[in-house]
Amino acid sequence: MSSLLSGQLLVAALATGGLYALVAVGLNLVYGTMRLLNVAHGEFVMVGAYVAFLLFSTWQIGPPWSLLAAFAVATALGLAAYRGLFHRLLERNQRVEANSLLLFFAVSVILQNVVALTFSANERAYRHLDGIVTFGDVSVTESRLLALVVSLAVCLAVALALRYAAVGQAIRAVLQNRDAAALVGVNVVQVQRLCFAFGVGAAGMAGALISLTQGISPFMGFPFTIAAFVVVILGGLGNLTGSLVGGLLLGFLETYGIALTAASYRSILLYGVFVGVLILLPRGLFGRRAARR
Amino acid sequence: MSLLSVEAATKRFGGLTALDAVSLEVAPGSITGVMGANGAGKTTLFSLIAGTDRPSGGRITFDGRRVDGLPADRVCRLGIARTFQIVRPFAGMTVLDNVAVAAMYGRRRIRARGPAEVIAWEVLEATGLADRAHQAAGSLTLAGRKRLEVARALATGPRLLLLDEVMAGLTATEVAEALAMIEDLRRRYDLTILVIEHVMRALMRLCDRIVVLHHGRLIAIGTPAEIATHPEVVDAYLGGGS
Amino acid sequence: MKAPLGLAAAVVAAAALPLLGSDYAVGIGLSLAMWVALTQSWVLISGMAGYVSLGHVVFYGTGAYVMVLAWQQYPPWLAVLAGGIAAGVLALAIGWPVLRVRGPSFVILTFGVAELVKYVVVNVEGALGRFGRVLFGGPDLQTLYWAMLGLAVAASVLTYVVRRSRFGGGLIAIREDEDAAEAVGIPAAKLKLAAFALSAVIPGMVGAIMVMRSTYFEPLQVFSPVVSFTIVTMAVIGGSDDAPGPLFGAAFLVVLAETLWSTLPEAYMIAQGALLIAFVLFAPDGIHGRLTARRARSG
Repeated sequence: MSSLLSGQLLVAALATGGLYALVAVGLNLVYGTMRLLNVAHGEFVMVGAYVAFLLFSTWQIGPPWSLLAAFAVATALGLAAYRGLFHRLLERNQRVEANSLLLFFAVSVILQNVVALTFSANERAYRHLDGIVTFGDVSVTESRLLALVVSLAVCLAVALALRYAAVGQAIRAVLQNRDAAALVGVNVVQVQRLCFAFGVGAAGMAGALISLTQGISPFMGFPFTIAAFVVVILGGLGNLTGSLVGGLLLGFLETYGIALTAASYRSILLYGVFVGVLILLPRGLFGRRAARR
Repeated sequence: MSLLSVEAATKRFGGLTALDAVSLEVAPGSITGVMGANGAGKTTLFSLIAGTDRPSGGRITFDGRRVDGLPADRVCRLGIARTFQIVRPFAGMTVLDNVAVAAMYGRRRIRARGPAEVIAWEVLEATGLADRAHQAAGSLTLAGRKRLEVARALATGPRLLLLDEVMAGLTATEVAEALAMIEDLRRRYDLTILVIEHVMRALMRLCDRIVVLHHGRLIAIGTPAEIATHPEVVDAYLGGGS
Repeated sequence: MKAPLGLAAAVVAAAALPLLGSDYAVGIGLSLAMWVALTQSWVLISGMAGYVSLGHVVFYGTGAYVMVLAWQQYPPWLAVLAGGIAAGVLALAIGWPVLRVRGPSFVILTFGVAELVKYVVVNVEGALGRFGRVLFGGPDLQTLYWAMLGLAVAASVLTYVVRRSRFGGGLIAIREDEDAAEAVGIPAAKLKLAAFALSAVIPGMVGAIMVMRSTYFEPLQVFSPVVSFTIVTMAVIGGSDDAPGPLFGAAFLVVLAETLWSTLPEAYMIAQGALLIAFVLFAPDGIHGRLTARRARSG
């Protein structure tokens, strides 16, 4: 049992939690501003992971460029999807919620299979930044440390931008009340597009970080979508600090849960927490609007 | 004996008190107007009575039975029907189907499609929508949709009808028609009516009594003539605006 | 009277298929009947009430697993029935807490529950030391085909009847505007839950039959999200508002699957995704919706 108290496990939990937070921040922005459930969010994580994998295995390009490239590719894909699919749908305003789900579902399947067709469905991995850093009696791989630092830094940057930057205030206005924000002159469509682009970009960057620490496959995205939903529900809609806390919480839950049981329980643990959270907090996705009923 | 009695009904949204201890009694067969500026709490009052929202405090009794906290569908089957200020037709269904489904679910005795359609046609006649029965509800004009709101509420066989700004946005002729329709409906169906309206003159003509809400509180209640000269009302609502 | 007669003739013709066609043809007929039964069931909750289920495979898989557990201990027909009941009970258990609440919680729950159940079964089987199970000595292909055809007809009739009933009227009102539906006395939570449970029973029975057809049970395959996705795509392509829609959608995709799935599964999935997007954006009422609109215009 003493291994449970080890620094190793603590850092592993922090790194996993940080990554979950980073993935969830993006989902939170998208759902908060557009009220659309992006069930393809995890696929943008997967795309980011493959971008990083491709860059490293072809040209030995690693972070920071691979992170930026993953962000850029995911953003570009997101913008294309937004323009081609969701903009049209939002404009026509016809059963948007149900129809957008179907579209996201389709996007997720297409991305999975395009990548599977290009890179095969087999798991891929590469070795980079796998040196060991030692603090006292804790030793961590450089890649884990990088994942932790980058994801926390990005989350904090987003939280600060929301609080202090002008565009952040516009986003917060839309998160709180879309109609009211439009009334006071916020360009809601522009805010939505920005949040969508940034949200999936952040997921892509998270994917690049993840590719450093574990094997990747075309079908790796789904658990990250689920994890992100858990974090958003726990942390609160539109609440980015909540997302950070929720992400770390889930990271700890998963890491220590596996340490206490076995690695094969990882999926059960994640989906179990997800189902449990939804059944206990079925209003979770409504955020503050839950008070209305 | 009042049909509806609202005692100290209160609704808070987060830190905001939308309705603050409002009490009122509604006599059977009467038409009561609800007046007040935007955000005064009129629609919130309706939502509490109809069960769309749960009150944070107070009690609401309908025909001797407590209804606050009951879900909206139960309240409807007990005999309270509402319209929505922002119209909410079942857009993809025909006008007839909109009304028929309300008749099938709102009334305890009607379950089959046949009798529900009989009621639906009768209500559509009464609301002047019969000639548009087979049209998709989404394709109606605003005046038509407002009428559909009323028709759908009527089809549930209510004793108390809550009309939320069914005349807002209509032309002067349409308002006159709507007024005639409401008076006709009250007689024909033996209704008690609560009506929210911004069209002042319409309210004055239509109502037996008027209540005035201001920032969530009830500031006056009385006959139209009394309200027109009530100092607090004149000050808060009718008065100059400065 | 013409349409019901024509349909009855079609059903009789379909029932005669094993007497005339090859095993290959019967296999395709079985697959078509399976998809019709699954998609019709999905339409009850997702087409009519508008609550999209992204994990309907969980009911299919549950039925299959019940069959596996009952194998050679109980007669197959009893296990098929039990599979349907188990799936219905699972739907009640999932739906009861979340369907009382408005909105998207239900949708994302269906999304995750299918995976949760899949991994629970994987781990249970692992703990039992079973890695894939073989089911030999089941009914022959003809019998399975007739049973599946029966389910397809039952599911189609169910959708047709519900669509024209008081219950169906309530579900569609919920889809159009849930607040307004409750305001006219429709008990939305109750109806949604009933529709969801009903939409699970036949898929459970379908799963129980299909696992006898494949004679092999492997949880990762039986609970594959591809099944859920195919159901959704078929419903949207065919039209998810009434019983004819799933017939069109299933026929369309089964043909596509026959040509593409075995050679290029990824391309088949991409094509499905593209079709789904195209129909959602440009023909959200599906093939059946288009046909009815055209008929309404021309006559």
